[in-house]
Amino acid sequence: MKPFIRNGLTSPLFFLLLSAGLLGQSTITGTVTGDQGEPLIGVSILIQGTGSGTVTDAEGDYSITASEDDVLVFSYTGYGSVTRTVGTSSVINVELQAGAQLDEVVVTALGISRERKALGYAVEELNSEEIVQTRQNNLVNALQGQVAGVQVSSAGGGPGQASRIIIRGVNSLDPDANNEPLFVIDGIPVSNETLTVGGGGSRNVSNRIADINPQDIETMTVLKGGPATALYGLRAANGAIIITTKSGKAGRVSVDVTSTYGTEEVNKFPETQKTYTQGFAGNYDPNSFWPSWGPTVEEARQYAAENGLPRPNDLFNNFENAYTQGNQWRNTVSVSGGNEKATFRTSLSRLTHEGVLPFSTYDNTSFRINANYAATDKFSFGGGINYIRSGGNRVNADRFNERLVYWAPQADVNNYIREDGSMIGYRNEGTVGNNPVYGEATNKFIDDVDRYIGNLNFSYSPLPQLRINYTLGLDQYSDFRDNFGQGSVYAGAPNFEDNLSNGNGFVVETSIRRRDVTSNINATYNAELTPDIRLRFLGGFDAFDSSYDRVTTTGNDLDIYNLFSLNNAADIRTSAALVDRRLLGLYGEMSLDFRNAVYFTVTGRNDWSSTLPRANRSFFYPSVSLGVLLGELLELPEAISFAKLRASYAGIGKDTDPYRTNIVYRNAAGFPINNVTGWTRDDQQGAPDLKPERTNTLEFGADLRFLSNRLGIDFTYYNAKSIDQIIPVPVSNATGFSTFILNAGSMRNSGVELALRGTPVATADFSWNVNLNYTSNRNEVLTIFEGVEDILIGSSFGYAGSSASIRLIRGEPYGNIYGRSYARYDPNGDGDDELFIDYNQPLLIGDDGFPVIETTQKILGNTQPKWFGALTNTLNYRGIGLSFQFDTRQGVQKYNQQGNFFAAFGTAPYTLNRNETIVFEGVTADGSPNTKPVFLGQGTGPDGENYGAGYYRNRYRGSTENFVEDADWFRLRNVSLSYQLPAQLLETVFIRTAGLTLTGNNLWLETPYSGFDPEGNRGNGNGDDGFGGFTYPSVRSFFVTLNLGF
Amino acid sequence: MKQTILSSLISAGVVLLMTACGADYLNVNDNPNVATRPPLDGLLASASYNTAQNQFRVSNGHSAYYVQYLASPNEGNTTDTYLEISNGTAWSELYDAMTDLDDLIRFGQEDGLGRHVAIAKVLMAVNLGLVVDNWGDAPYSDAFSGETLRPTYDSAEELYATIFRLLDEAGAELSAAGDAPAVREGSDFVYNGDLDAWSRAVASLRARYLNHLSETSAYDPTAVLAAVDAGFTGPEQDASVTSFTVRNPWAQVAENNANLLLGGWLSEQFIDALNGTTYGVEDPRLPLLTNRNDDGEFVGTPNGAGRQGDGTKTLESYLVLEGAFSMESSPLNIITFAELKFIEAEAALAAGDQERANEAFATGVRTSMAQIGVDDQSADQYLDQAYPDDDVSRDDIFREKYVALFLSPETWVDARRYDYAYADFELAENAALNTFPVRIQYPNTETDRNAVNVPIVTMTDPLFWDQ
Repeated sequence: MKPFIRNGLTSPLFFLLLSAGLLGQSTITGTVTGDQGEPLIGVSILIQGTGSGTVTDAEGDYSITASEDDVLVFSYTGYGSVTRTVGTSSVINVELQAGAQLDEVVVTALGISRERKALGYAVEELNSEEIVQTRQNNLVNALQGQVAGVQVSSAGGGPGQASRIIIRGVNSLDPDANNEPLFVIDGIPVSNETLTVGGGGSRNVSNRIADINPQDIETMTVLKGGPATALYGLRAANGAIIITTKSGKAGRVSVDVTSTYGTEEVNKFPETQKTYTQGFAGNYDPNSFWPSWGPTVEEARQYAAENGLPRPNDLFNNFENAYTQGNQWRNTVSVSGGNEKATFRTSLSRLTHEGVLPFSTYDNTSFRINANYAATDKFSFGGGINYIRSGGNRVNADRFNERLVYWAPQADVNNYIREDGSMIGYRNEGTVGNNPVYGEATNKFIDDVDRYIGNLNFSYSPLPQLRINYTLGLDQYSDFRDNFGQGSVYAGAPNFEDNLSNGNGFVVETSIRRRDVTSNINATYNAELTPDIRLRFLGGFDAFDSSYDRVTTTGNDLDIYNLFSLNNAADIRTSAALVDRRLLGLYGEMSLDFRNAVYFTVTGRNDWSSTLPRANRSFFYPSVSLGVLLGELLELPEAISFAKLRASYAGIGKDTDPYRTNIVYRNAAGFPINNVTGWTRDDQQGAPDLKPERTNTLEFGADLRFLSNRLGIDFTYYNAKSIDQIIPVPVSNATGFSTFILNAGSMRNSGVELALRGTPVATADFSWNVNLNYTSNRNEVLTIFEGVEDILIGSSFGYAGSSASIRLIRGEPYGNIYGRSYARYDPNGDGDDELFIDYNQPLLIGDDGFPVIETTQKILGNTQPKWFGALTNTLNYRGIGLSFQFDTRQGVQKYNQQGNFFAAFGTAPYTLNRNETIVFEGVTADGSPNTKPVFLGQGTGPDGENYGAGYYRNRYRGSTENFVEDADWFRLRNVSLSYQLPAQLLETVFIRTAGLTLTGNNLWLETPYSGFDPEGNRGNGNGDDGFGGFTYPSVRSFFVTLNLGF
Repeated sequence: MKQTILSSLISAGVVLLMTACGADYLNVNDNPNVATRPPLDGLLASASYNTAQNQFRVSNGHSAYYVQYLASPNEGNTTDTYLEISNGTAWSELYDAMTDLDDLIRFGQEDGLGRHVAIAKVLMAVNLGLVVDNWGDAPYSDAFSGETLRPTYDSAEELYATIFRLLDEAGAELSAAGDAPAVREGSDFVYNGDLDAWSRAVASLRARYLNHLSETSAYDPTAVLAAVDAGFTGPEQDASVTSFTVRNPWAQVAENNANLLLGGWLSEQFIDALNGTTYGVEDPRLPLLTNRNDDGEFVGTPNGAGRQGDGTKTLESYLVLEGAFSMESSPLNIITFAELKFIEAEAALAAGDQERANEAFATGVRTSMAQIGVDDQSADQYLDQAYPDDDVSRDDIFREKYVALFLSPETWVDARRYDYAYADFELAENAALNTFPVRIQYPNTETDRNAVNVPIVTMTDPLFWDQ
């Protein structure tokens, strides 16, 4: 009774509250103070597992409606968080420790929870709310802009489309290497591969982490490699993302329902000219292959009228019209609960998503159970299982966008099919010309994944200081891929050309089974030597067994044009692959804690890998890390509330892909022919003497807090050098191979990461938090095997020799884009560096009056950003929350293949000057200024000269330089507005919590790039991030989310 | 109890550790999808098939453009106008085939497979011949082993000696291989294991490579004629491949062109040589090789000039699926009886045997006509019209060989030996050189990866036999 009186509550309210208490809810009040007894303003109080909460007022007082057994989480920047379970008392006073945030526990390698302050390396963690903030279905995208050092690039806005995540730069020279971090869910390493087999290369297939329902995730911890992941071993050499799923809490059963509806549209279209219509050399021809090299629409109409042709149409904007509005629904129901001994949580989720590109779909059904049982004080066990079914029709955005360029704008691309089912083209009265929409309607790639992820954990603690853990995990999936193209509806019917490439229609079926089994046992022992010195020992052993099995069957030439069964194909071919990989690891760690001020940790790990030659397959690597809390050792100035310095060093060994140690013979391409198989020596020479790679990482950091923890800065510098890299070294074909597998290169990444956290305002009703992060990574290829000039990472086609390629050469950073350029006038031939264009030199103009193409490949840009960062603001006013995130990437270039095609086909707005006669600024071979006027158009110019296909086709499109564009961007990544219904309003109904959230993504974009959103990439492989243009466009999306708790 | 659980856990862990670390557990790195020792019939299948494909790769990659069988639809095309090119695809495919043949010879000798070894040596000679005749010096004696990263180059003369040595060895081994295990049915895509046919091919090839030396002091026409005598006796003995994965590669070019993936456009030079423009005689083979344009004419594209129209009308002649060399299952030739007859005619003329030259020439033309589908009467009529004189000249031989060997890479050797002296033969428009190219560049796989060994050449440096 007393507390109520103290808080000045009158008796009617008391009775009301009492009655609420009978319904299981009561008002809890209290005061939150700092360790000096001062009231803390704006402390956040949340009921765990729900969205409801409040903050303390100017006196540090709070009031919240909660049920018995609810867990209240009190958190305050710089003070960490404290939890209290609601019992019978309605008053809960809490004292928070300044700097106690560092008592905050974070998940580290092997799922081991450690105090943040004890770590000698940077760790960042996202909680469940941050993960679902942007309503991204692909869990990887939840990390966009959230963590310094982490670069997430989505290949595009396709439903279920893959995203690529790179931590602290690309580490490998090998074009085929996986540079992405290891994903670990509840202690089980899981697959995040993006498989493109079976025709998925240019389809927007998923990375496998996209299978996971983000709403099942409690926390996601980013370990950035080196010392943080040394215990994980070689598989985490590129960092690790440690995911912990939600589990049940002791207390009553709670049911949560989340329902999200989203809608989306393309966020940026390329500009196109809307003046010139079909034809060539300015002459109108409705049968012309050329979509836009004809006259203006007006001129065409006049010509048509004079020649008895149908009246030419106004120009459609087919680039915009071909895309539609996307829609998605995601519904998740979860039930959790338990008692002191046993807890469980189960969830069921269903996503259906239709994308902006016609016929693109993705569905995901996910079911998860987590259960834990504490059998005795010493023994507990638990487990989880997640079943996922995912997949959809993955459209070919590359071909779709390419065909849109060929498509004449005077025809409506959405008018794509006749009643008889044949294609409507753009010329010759619709009988000729590939219709991209018809293509997507009749040429499909549908994947269907069944995946099981299961884990079992046993924990035994025979002594208070000793704990033994065992984890067994399984990640198994089958992926059935069906790629088919429709035959012609009757012989000679207009059909999409891809459907006819190998006969009349085709079916390609691919069955994949991947199975990863992991087993990990370890023991931890804590010892207190003196009150000042505590030691902690860890030792363990893990095993990883991965197998992959694929069968692809191709059937060409369908008998019945629309029966997409292998039984209906005349020509059947099959290929198969089996891959096994096994790893064993033995690891140990010793940590020393001196007076809670100095933390020193040493680790060591020995790996055995099946992929290396027997003599070299065992390898050991150590790490050391040191964390010093200055405040514990000396008196800090008042303004500094906390200061910690970190230093660490780690070497991580790395194996290679399976089957790289032998010379082998494989089936020859094109066989069997007439039932005869052919064999050929494999182009790759394996090496029987490979040794493991090694990445040595040095990291320094500081964590500083000021002004009673209202402002915090976390700074990290790292330098990671990867040596003895195992790469396929390109060799002369005369060796009998095209590559030798060798330990043949080294590369360095160094960079800084900066995270700034501030709380400008914190009052009872209103709080404002700001997070800023900044990352800058520098990369250098240190060595490549002697005699090898360069390593090709990837290339993208351009007309007239303007293809762009990404190559690695010694002394240059990763990701340089090479291509042709306009020649510069260089009278002394002393161009500073033959690799780069000297932009100060004038253009060299040829005798014909046009710029000369420099055919020697030059470096035109780089695919890796100079820096990237994000700024997030979070505001809370009573039950209303608003957050918005700005995101930027700077100093990055991209080859725009669409731009190259726009030049070739007269689609780009700048080709509007096609009928002008100009003098190109530049100098001729003898150094004198160019004075020759030239006609930019096609055919015979006003001067009587024949200009052939014209400047844009003859010259402009042949210079890659014109299409390697700055791809910097600055965007409003996310705005989220949420409202949590006050608990008082729900007291009389059966609903416990209710909230509504409005979310907008990609609402604003600022970029100099001329194509679709430059964040989109050609695919998810190394090098694909340098190639844009014909990508699945990014989207601007809006979501409405309703949360209900029962 | 506690102690029991603890000790059992620990022992379980130790057992796991011991068994798991057992070496066998990690011995899974033998690739189960491939072989460490290939089936030798399979090597032969791949190498014999690809030897024919390589004729196509060299021709479609550059030589057909240099001899102006084909022209690019694009103005100023790199290949058409003699800008530097290397045809890296053909180079790597040739070395792929030779690598397999090297393995076939090595493994075949170990296994006593005399037939396989002998056939492999013939095929090796053919592929090596393409390498040296297109690029010049090339790796051979230091090649294929994978032991060196940067194989050294043999000189073109040395490579010719190697070709003759391979042919001599093959010839001897073929006659002695009767007792060796048979070649699997269907694995020899050229002759299906017929040793006699191979023996005739060896002699025919020897005649070809001896005849290549026509501009050198080593030329011996009687040796050529002696080889011819042991060579093919009829067109049914042609060394060619008639089974394909999908279709003849020239048919694929025709198919692609029909689908707007442009290629296989006939050059003005070739069309004019057959439509009466150059020689005043219409060649009855022309309608069987290509299409008429929308105006009913045979029109070639001038090399370097590119297409004339906008692509909406058929203004030119192309490789088409009805053409004799570009049907779905047209034979893809390595060396033919007709070629041998023209070699014979050339050598006989050089040896002063005009009559033999006349006869061989007429047989060569008639064989070509018959193979393309011209009836005997039209063939005779053509011969009468075109060659009213009975005695043939060297010009006549090169003129007819040019037509009979349509699309063959061998024609570029002829063109260089003949100094491109075909009637009305002109440099391409916008040509980057002021003479015809006489070799191509080494591919960047060599200049980038084997820079210490690769010779520095220009496309106007003649080969040793081209003087």
